[in-house]
Amino acid sequence: MKSLIIEIIDPKRIGELVTAGRIFGGAPDILAIGKGGIPGAYGKAYQADELVAANIVDVAAELIQREGYEVILLSATTVGAEIAGRLSVALKAPVISEIIGIAADMTVKRPLYGGKAVAQYKINKFPVVLTIRRKYFEPAVLEGTTPAVSLGAGGAGITFVSEEEIKTEGIPLEDADIIISGGRGIGAKENFTMLREMAGIVNAAVGASRGAVDEGWAAPTMQIGQTGNIVAPSVYFAVGISGASQHLAGIANAKCVVAINKDEEANIFKRARFGIVADYKTVLPALTKALKEEQ
Amino acid sequence: MHIAVLAKVVPDYEVPAGDFELVGGRAHSRYTRMIGLYDENAIETGVQLKEKYGATLSVISYGKTEDVSLLRKAVAMGGDTLNLVIGESDDPYVIAANLKMAVEKLGNVDLILAGQQSADMDRGIVHSILAEMLGYSFLPKIAFIEFDQGGWKVRQIHENGSRELEFKGKGVLSITSIPENVPRIPAVRSIFAAKKKPVDKMEGILGAPMNVEELSVQIPRMESVCEFLPMEDVGQTAKLLLAKLREGRYL
Repeated sequence: MKSLIIEIIDPKRIGELVTAGRIFGGAPDILAIGKGGIPGAYGKAYQADELVAANIVDVAAELIQREGYEVILLSATTVGAEIAGRLSVALKAPVISEIIGIAADMTVKRPLYGGKAVAQYKINKFPVVLTIRRKYFEPAVLEGTTPAVSLGAGGAGITFVSEEEIKTEGIPLEDADIIISGGRGIGAKENFTMLREMAGIVNAAVGASRGAVDEGWAAPTMQIGQTGNIVAPSVYFAVGISGASQHLAGIANAKCVVAINKDEEANIFKRARFGIVADYKTVLPALTKALKEEQ
Repeated sequence: MHIAVLAKVVPDYEVPAGDFELVGGRAHSRYTRMIGLYDENAIETGVQLKEKYGATLSVISYGKTEDVSLLRKAVAMGGDTLNLVIGESDDPYVIAANLKMAVEKLGNVDLILAGQQSADMDRGIVHSILAEMLGYSFLPKIAFIEFDQGGWKVRQIHENGSRELEFKGKGVLSITSIPENVPRIPAVRSIFAAKKKPVDKMEGILGAPMNVEELSVQIPRMESVCEFLPMEDVGQTAKLLLAKLREGRYL
């Protein structure tokens, strides 16, 4: 299969897409969005010097048709969301989003109903546009860089004005081996301090459920779940999180979930390896103390 | 200014995984139905824009006639008209083609808002397909919208923060949830008034489907068995948990 990755210059995202692309056979080419060297070795590399992914749809469609790409791979992120649907219409191609499994026989899997079900599809028509959910494919090691053919800037439809990057305290969620995450059960914004204190000791990242973000207690960049960050830590501490399926979809690849919740009927215990039925305000200080004593 | 908001009625998205059941590859019909999670954020955003700019707010849905009673909530929240295209397809191209028909029938729609993704199929692509079919600009995961000097200024929430973007002309925006667009609870008199509003029902069109073959839909097994730790002495519980995490090489 002749495949093309379309992605911003982010080695982890590109590495995951390279792995996904290899399952279809062959090595994918790449259309990179933005400035900078393109990590990894590709037969063909193209680059669009563009800040807004949505603006490259026409350029990408023209390239795909000219070169005869059959499988188009994007990450299931904001970039993928900006491009995938529009590109599929431009190419008259099917589009399947949020893919979590790929087989060489051209079947793919994606979740439905907030992760409560998984559907399998057979791709019968090419080209096809696929968005790949983060953290489901081990990123390929990308060595060196590949010089790119410049496609210039994209169209002028959307104008970039400014960007505000939210600096995470400590380790980023996507890299974290340990995540301590709070939900509505935390009760107030200031109570996240307790999670941060414990995170500081074990080099963990602090996350939040959609409920906590909706309450304004945590930044949207901290949201974990189907429509937030997809994470795959070794240990995930779910503190005051009920365990809605949409949240569980974001931690499906966590190796061990520790649930701390006053409600013994909370759904999170069905996903947890270890559970503590208690007020987190008594458990977290004890855990923090025990971790300090171990140091 | 004419704003349209897309709303989809879906099975109760809060049904726990353990109680979830499929019939024919779709959620069992016994589940309560409701407007989708992010669609309500989109409706709230639309109502706020209506209040700020004196816009007309049309609610558009593709679904069953039975959905009307649930969709009236969008009118009670502040929608001016309710437009239902009758159809039951799950194909994103067919859904988008039907929504396009409704938008074109309304005429002069300046901005279309939709939830970031539906709470049943979880695809998050119908709105962008619709945008391309209509020739409108499209941006996903939008939190704030302003109309300024004849154009739209929006704030998009992405994985690492947010960015401000602008565009002129007509657009489709997918709306993400933020504390500022938590859906309002309609007043009782608004609920009664919404019940009296006429609904524009349209017969759906067949449309050209996407040509992807659905082989199966299954409920994945949750293998985890939770070991509950004793809580007689919280200090001991903490030490026991850490010991177990180290024993399992998780820490």
